[in-house]
Amino acid sequence: MKNIIKSKKGTSKIVLTGVLLLCVALLAGCAKSDAKKTTETAESTSTQETETSQVTEKSEPLVVAMELAYPPFETKDTAGNPTGISVDFAKALGEYLGRPVTIVNTAWEGLIPSLQTEKVDLVISSMTITEDRGKVIDFSDPYANSMLGILVNKDSDINSAEDLDQKGKKVAVKAGSTGFIYAKTHMKNAEVIVLADESACVTEVAQGKADGFFYDQLTIYRNQQRNPETTKAVYVPFQDKDMWGVGVQKGNTELLNQVNAFIKEYTANGGFDELSEKYLHEEKQAFKDLGFKWFFDLT
Amino acid sequence: MVLRSNLTKTLNAFLASLLVIILVWISVLRLGVAFDFSFVVEFRQRIWQGFLMTVAISLAGFVLSLFIGIVAALLQNGKILFLKYISIIYINFIRGTPLIMQIYLFYYIIGTAWGVENRFLSGVLILSIFEGAYIAEIIRGGIQGLDPTQLEAAKAVGFSRSQTVKLVVIPQLVARTLPPLVGQFSSIIKDSSLLSIIAVIELTQTMREISALNFRLFESYLFLGLLYLCLTIPLAMIGKALERYYNFEG
Repeated sequence: MKNIIKSKKGTSKIVLTGVLLLCVALLAGCAKSDAKKTTETAESTSTQETETSQVTEKSEPLVVAMELAYPPFETKDTAGNPTGISVDFAKALGEYLGRPVTIVNTAWEGLIPSLQTEKVDLVISSMTITEDRGKVIDFSDPYANSMLGILVNKDSDINSAEDLDQKGKKVAVKAGSTGFIYAKTHMKNAEVIVLADESACVTEVAQGKADGFFYDQLTIYRNQQRNPETTKAVYVPFQDKDMWGVGVQKGNTELLNQVNAFIKEYTANGGFDELSEKYLHEEKQAFKDLGFKWFFDLT
Repeated sequence: MVLRSNLTKTLNAFLASLLVIILVWISVLRLGVAFDFSFVVEFRQRIWQGFLMTVAISLAGFVLSLFIGIVAALLQNGKILFLKYISIIYINFIRGTPLIMQIYLFYYIIGTAWGVENRFLSGVLILSIFEGAYIAEIIRGGIQGLDPTQLEAAKAVGFSRSQTVKLVVIPQLVARTLPPLVGQFSSIIKDSSLLSIIAVIELTQTMREISALNFRLFESYLFLGLLYLCLTIPLAMIGKALERYYNFEG
């Protein structure tokens, strides 16, 4: 009898502790969201105040996400600082808006989620405007365009995308890239090998593990130049142009309009021509010789 | 009494689970992203294939790594110095470097040099070589835990060498190493996810490919975690049960 009472007491004690813990957790959750609300209101009042005095509003940083693994558009210099065409472009945009720019290096697959969760204001990462991406984020007007090319093994007999789409052929692509999307939707017979980075794709082709690698013409050109013993490039156009846009949070029309206005002005003032000269002098000439349209030639 | 204590257990387990679920739920609400898991139905065939691939790689990897681990442990404890050092170099190199580096090294350099092209086979080999070093350590620990006086006692009662191994060494070794080996199997299942970087289409790679198409990153990875738990939780329970069984027996 005594034992039973004891255990009863024990049970109720444990239950009580559990319920208490739950309440505490719930309260903590509520308290936190309340706290968030109050800071939010505080923020909104402060922005109202700064509308009159523009100095404080100017200092609010513009947070831009990009994957610093796509030279010369987004990359790092030897000291580890962000550099490249997109970085200069973002900085020019920040100057135009009167806001300091913070670059956040984000893996490709995390770019769109970082916009969705409002961790960043913009994505400027040579991202192609696609219908599916447009469902979850908004895109600015296009500021550049590119075409896909194919890197193939030196000994390969592949001359077009159709040659590659055969049973037993393997296509390497980088996860989430437009080459990946093209391969997944158009390659009916070939096996698609999805890898995490560009260098792995090039290695697969150079070693003959894959028969081809889809990426934009510039990347294909540069990798072919770097591996002349093992690879060759195929530039026969086989799809529509990829248009690159700046990614903005869904519904943030104010920033979207500002970005669009900036792109118009920057293009008209020859900003992209300057960037081409600075970063891609040699390649621009090579593209001209090959008869390709340049990235920033949107006509 | 037994009934009551079971009731208490169940109730507390329930409350604890509820707390965890509520915490996750609050985090999701605060994130403010609407979750949509409909892709799971759409891609069920690919997800299922990826799941089977993970199970197949893990099983094959476990068998092979067990073999590698036993051989490495025996060599390390053996008398041939040359082989002993090979085993020591192997174990220290594998345990001292990250798996991701080993995957690239073995697949693109060593694998290519020796003509291993098949991704499934390469994946199983790399995983087995990696896990084998850890299994070798588990087995070495089991061997070292044996009390040498037992061997003398076995000799004293007139056991032959094979009898000693069969009746004294093996049963204790199994009791000591089986629970941690089950835990290692769990690690193999989780570590196999890294093979996605050489495009072995297992569960993680399948989910990465799907989320690269539909941008449902959060949902994909949450569901991925759930699928791995379906494999690892039963294993953890088996490990616990084995531990209890051998504790009672000992």
